[in-house]
Amino acid sequence: MKKIAATIKKEWILLRRDISGMLLLLLMPAILIVVMAMVQDAPFKSYQDLRFDLLLANDDQGTLSADIIDGLRHSKNFMVIDSLAGKPLTDEQLRASLKKGDYKIGIIIPKGATAEIVNLNNIIANNISAKIGLGTALPTRNTRDSMYIKIYFDPVTQPTFRAMIHAGLDKYINYASSSMLIKCLSRLGKTDADTSEASNEDLKKVFTGLGVKEEAVNDNGKEVLHINSVQHNVPAWAIFGMFFIVVPLASHLLREREEGSALRLCLIPNSQMALALGRIIFYTMVCTTQFAIMVCLGIWLMPLLRLPALTLGAHAWVLLPIAICISFAATAFGTFIGSVFVSANQALPFGSIIIVILSAIGGIWVPVEVLPETMQHLANISPLHWSLAAVNEIILRDGNFQDVIKYLIILLLFGITLWLLSVYRNKTRIQSLQ
Amino acid sequence: MSYAIEINDLYKQYKGAAAPAVDHLSLKVKKNSITGFLGPNGAGKTTSINIMCGLLQPDEGTVQLLGRDVVKDTQAVRSIIGVVPQQIALFPHLTARENLQYLGNMYDLNNRILKERIDQYLNLFGLDKHADKRIIHYSGGMKRRANIIASLLHDPQLLILDEPTAGVDIHSRALIIDFILAYKQQGKTILYTSHLLEEAEKVCDEVIIIDEGKLVTEGTTESLVKETDDCHNLEDVFLHYTGKVLRD
Repeated sequence: MKKIAATIKKEWILLRRDISGMLLLLLMPAILIVVMAMVQDAPFKSYQDLRFDLLLANDDQGTLSADIIDGLRHSKNFMVIDSLAGKPLTDEQLRASLKKGDYKIGIIIPKGATAEIVNLNNIIANNISAKIGLGTALPTRNTRDSMYIKIYFDPVTQPTFRAMIHAGLDKYINYASSSMLIKCLSRLGKTDADTSEASNEDLKKVFTGLGVKEEAVNDNGKEVLHINSVQHNVPAWAIFGMFFIVVPLASHLLREREEGSALRLCLIPNSQMALALGRIIFYTMVCTTQFAIMVCLGIWLMPLLRLPALTLGAHAWVLLPIAICISFAATAFGTFIGSVFVSANQALPFGSIIIVILSAIGGIWVPVEVLPETMQHLANISPLHWSLAAVNEIILRDGNFQDVIKYLIILLLFGITLWLLSVYRNKTRIQSLQ
Repeated sequence: MSYAIEINDLYKQYKGAAAPAVDHLSLKVKKNSITGFLGPNGAGKTTSINIMCGLLQPDEGTVQLLGRDVVKDTQAVRSIIGVVPQQIALFPHLTARENLQYLGNMYDLNNRILKERIDQYLNLFGLDKHADKRIIHYSGGMKRRANIIASLLHDPQLLILDEPTAGVDIHSRALIIDFILAYKQQGKTILYTSHLLEEAEKVCDEVIIIDEGKLVTEGTTESLVKETDDCHNLEDVFLHYTGKVLRD
């Protein structure tokens, strides 16, 4: 125990004096977390939370277009621009602006759209009138096939974005159309049709009430947070930083061998196991502290940067055993790299590249769910993926200790295997006085 | 007569090497003596010492240090020998005191005894005023002296020094030699390698010269000089037995 404690103290003194190593352990993941959270904030946001400029050329000037424009203007998602330099926007101006990339979306409401929808509604109303035996009919004419409200997108917009805009516009068109249909039905039934604002408001409420609202639920039916840039990037890059301990740790081990202090320790009886234990305990503590600091940054620094604060879920204490297991796995990995390689020139590039690769396939850069299927299977070999999956279970899915046990066991097995291999390698390594 | 070191028919050949590094070497080192273990580069000195410390396994033969077999009882042997490597085997970013405290703790020494020994040796080797300076900021001579102290903390009965005065200034060398002589007075045994034959002649009670892994000659300096034709000192004896061909 005394030897282990002495080793922990020695490692602490050495780390304290290694400014570049400290910066690599603390500053690098902190910078990565801040930068990546800010860069990925918009892509992670639900489109429902964003507001877009929408160009609108109104060639109709009827009730339908007025209702659509009114609906869009009341929407939190669209900022309707229907004039440029004080003049109504023309079809050509709209297309030119989109082509230049100044705007992402444009819609053209064609001339006669209101007349067309009125005709359609009259046909529907007449059908209903005939079926319920009212005996009255509204004037109709043949429908026109080529009457569309045209939507234009900047070519760089993504399919998911287009689908969302389509759905949004459909909602307002349906609302306007339904509003007009009710008016038609009123005209059929009585002469003093109710066209008051109150009835329109009631209809709006119906549409709002029928809307789809996306929510995530846990097993208990409790509402939980959706993934966002902070919820993904803080744990992801904290885990990356923890595994990046491979670089300073491997470098430290190789330096001890090159400097001869490893030889000195080798000549001390029964010191090797205590040395290995002291080292793994110390660096596991360092990584766990590193994780705690990154989580604190997520909770308190992110809101200062106008990003959402990190939330830890209902069983936040489970993050401690998770952090310890991740730290142990990362430290064992670093010890392994430092033990099997013979020079820093080999170990350091290998160590840093392998961590970058494992982080890429492990879902650190982007969530595994958005990776192709093959990559999703490949992610299962990455210890960074097991680590992130365990953390996500707690902070996104509100999971508890039982939900993460499988990840903890895998991380511990991974760590124990590599650590024992390192101890064996060091034991069998031929040390020489020269 | 009891011996501190008894090597019997020791043989070691590295994988891929054309010739053995140690070729059926047998020798004995008396207790409470200073013995020079000499030989040209590649003679097999370091391989022999590595085997004595348990760092390397012999292919054949036995090595006993203070009556204990180094292969069967490696840890026990390590607790009674002190090895001063030629390389400065210390943590450069720790101070001398931090290095010694850590290494003493790894030997599981009692805290009070350890503190006393650290103070005693730092004072003896003239490092007491620099005890809290990091090793990386030490001069070559200071590093070498701290390196020796690190091997003495557990009070070894047998001290093996590999080129302890290589590259040090005259004052440090004199201090190290004085220490070696004084250490013997405490009843300890010292095995000492050096390329400085004048120094070896002055310090050693006996010398062992090996070459190509084999024992070439052994005895007191005086007897070797007397018995070897046209030799006036140890250097003449060394060249007589090992030749003048350059060794790399």
